[in-house]
Order: sequence, then C-alpha cells, then structure tokens
Amino acid sequence: MKKTILIVCSIIFLAGLAQVKAQKMENNSAHKGYKVGDVATDFKLKNVDQKMVSLSDYKDAKGFIVVFTCNHCPYAKAYESRIIALDQKYASKGYPVIAINPNDPKVEPTDNFEAMQVRAKEKAFTFPYLFDDGQTVYPQYGATKTPHVFLLNKENGKNIVRYIGAIDDNYADVNDVSNKYVEAAVDALLANQPIAQTTTVAIGCSIKAQKN
Amino acid sequence: MRYLAIIIMTLLTLNSSDQNTESKKPVSGGTSKHDYSVKIVRFADLEAVMKKNDDKLYVVNFWATWCRPCVLELPEFMEVNNAYRNQPRFKMILVSLDMAKEAETTVRAFLEKRKMDVDVYLLDDNKRMNEWIPAIDKNWSGAIPATVFYRNGEKVEFIENKMQKSELEQLIKKYL
Repeated sequence: MKKTILIVCSIIFLAGLAQVKAQKMENNSAHKGYKVGDVATDFKLKNVDQKMVSLSDYKDAKGFIVVFTCNHCPYAKAYESRIIALDQKYASKGYPVIAINPNDPKVEPTDNFEAMQVRAKEKAFTFPYLFDDGQTVYPQYGATKTPHVFLLNKENGKNIVRYIGAIDDNYADVNDVSNKYVEAAVDALLANQPIAQTTTVAIGCSIKAQKN
Repeated sequence: MRYLAIIIMTLLTLNSSDQNTESKKPVSGGTSKHDYSVKIVRFADLEAVMKKNDDKLYVVNFWATWCRPCVLELPEFMEVNNAYRNQPRFKMILVSLDMAKEAETTVRAFLEKRKMDVDVYLLDDNKRMNEWIPAIDKNWSGAIPATVFYRNGEKVEFIENKMQKSELEQLIKKYL
C-alpha cells in the first residue's frame, strides 16, 4: 500500500514539475538560446537536394551565416535576394550562408519540404536550405522568428556565435537601407576587428510550432 | 481541423465564462458609422497615443494581415474590446505591421470585412525597428503577435505570443 502511494505521489510530483517547466519554457522563450560568445551546436539536417548537411562538412569555412528563414513569411521573402547576395559575397571569403526552415508544416503547411524545394529552385538558392525536422535545432539556437541570423565564427575548432539578429535595417526597401548589420559583422570578422553591433532586433514572423 | 478545434474551444470558453453576455455578440458590435481607415504613424506618434497620462489602460496589439497567429487571435481580442468598450478607463489599439502601401487596401479591406470597430494604426518606422522594439520591451525579439499594456505612460505588462481570451481578460481585470 505504502509503495503504491509513494509511486502515485511521485507521478503527481513529476507531472507538476513537467507543467512548471513547460510553463517556464513558454514564458521564457525570449531568453533561451545562444548569446554572443556561446558555442553553436552542429546539426545534421536534410537539404532540398535530399542530402544531409552539417557545419562540419565545410572544412575550409571560416564561419557561417546561419539564417532561419522560411517560405511563407513576408519578411523572409523580402530578404530572399539579400540572403542570396550575402552568400555570393561571402561564401568565397569563407562565410557561406546556411539557411534553415524552422517551421512545423503541420502548423504552417506552406513551409513544407516540397515547397522549400520549389522556392530554392525558383530563386536559384546558391546555399543549403535545410529542414529542421522535429524542430530540435532552432530552439537550441534560440531563433524566435524568421528571418533570424546567427553569424558563427570558427575559433579553436568551435563555431562561436558572434552576431545575432536582423540582416539590415529595412526589410521593405532594399534601396533605403542605412545599416547592413550582417555585412558589417562579417567584414569585421574578416578584418580581425571587433564587431560594432553584435545584436539587433527586427519584426519577423513567429516560428510556427505546435502548442504555440 | 486545427482551426475547428480552436473555434470549438473558444465557444466553450464563451459559454462557461461568467462575463456579461455581450461576448456572445458577433465580432462587429460596432456601428455602421465606424471609419475603417488606418492611420499611418511613426513610433513617436504611436507612443503619444498609448502613453497618455489619462488613467486609461491601453491594450496595444501588434499584428499584420498576413500573420496567421495574429489573425487567429483577433476575433477574441474584438470580443473583449466589445465587452469593455463602455468602460471609460479602457482602450484597445491595434498596430498593424503591414507595409505602409497596404494601409488603404489590404489592411482596410481586412478590417471592413470583419467589421472591426477598433482604432487601428499602421506603424511605418522600419529603419528604427532596432530602437522601438526594445523601447517597448527589452526582451521582445520582434516576433508578432505581441501585446503591450500601458497606463499613464508606464508599461504594466508585455506578452510576446498569441494570447488566449481568458489570459487577455485576466490581465485586463488585473490592471483596470
């Protein structure tokens, strides 16, 4: 009898803990993930060409421009050409773009894998466009919206986060941009200079996950 | 299927709520005289509106017509607005983050179709996002929907996420 009560109590206690944790996770969603200076995790995600891609595949890269982006979000779409331009400018200099779609197609059907393949082909993406299957990568990074950039720099064999935030300061008009945040950050890394602005924020579409 | 579940949940919540039954009215609740035009503002103008020193609780929701979770929560926001609209110390404001050129077209059409009788502004201040987003809340990542509550120029609450009707009502009751 005692044993049963103990087991029942443990279950209730654990359930309570899980609920508190879930609550905390939801409330603190803005605080989780990487800060500048943290070591970024590698991953193995499927690309639109069906091949698996990891950061470790890029032996010669000096770092990575990791962009969480998707098909449906108008902000993400407004930046597509600029993301391509970043890859064209910096891949040859050692900082390729790695695009990751963090959304759950069950919540946002237009962000499914087939649609990713179509978009990548339409826009002639020159970089991997990976599917965060199971949505395990974006929470580790702490991506909260699309688009959301994490600039990584290889230091002592590790990928260190050096910039987090927006691509530039005007999603609406590429001809009226005053601050090209990501370019400035990568240029600084290339010149071995400190990055002047290491974090920025901009409006974006929340990441689509169940229970959100 | 998922949306059907949300609708059913909403109806159940409505039925079990001890709110006055005005919430059973259709989303409109507004008069046909309502002007559905959208005022385009920069952040300073918006601040002047939501940070007034008039003892009112300002419930300010950031949304966009293309933002699915935003659009999903709007009917409940409108129900709450209708329930509280006669309270002199309550004011709901919607702030659209659609592109400025859509103000008189897409946004207005959206409001007219749903007969949304509420003040709507369109915040057109893109290049200063990195300033006004943290000014509203230093932890705000910029994701929408988000809702901020002000009274007499002070922020009393900020929610970065879609809100349930019960949560919204709870917060209004708390601060009103």
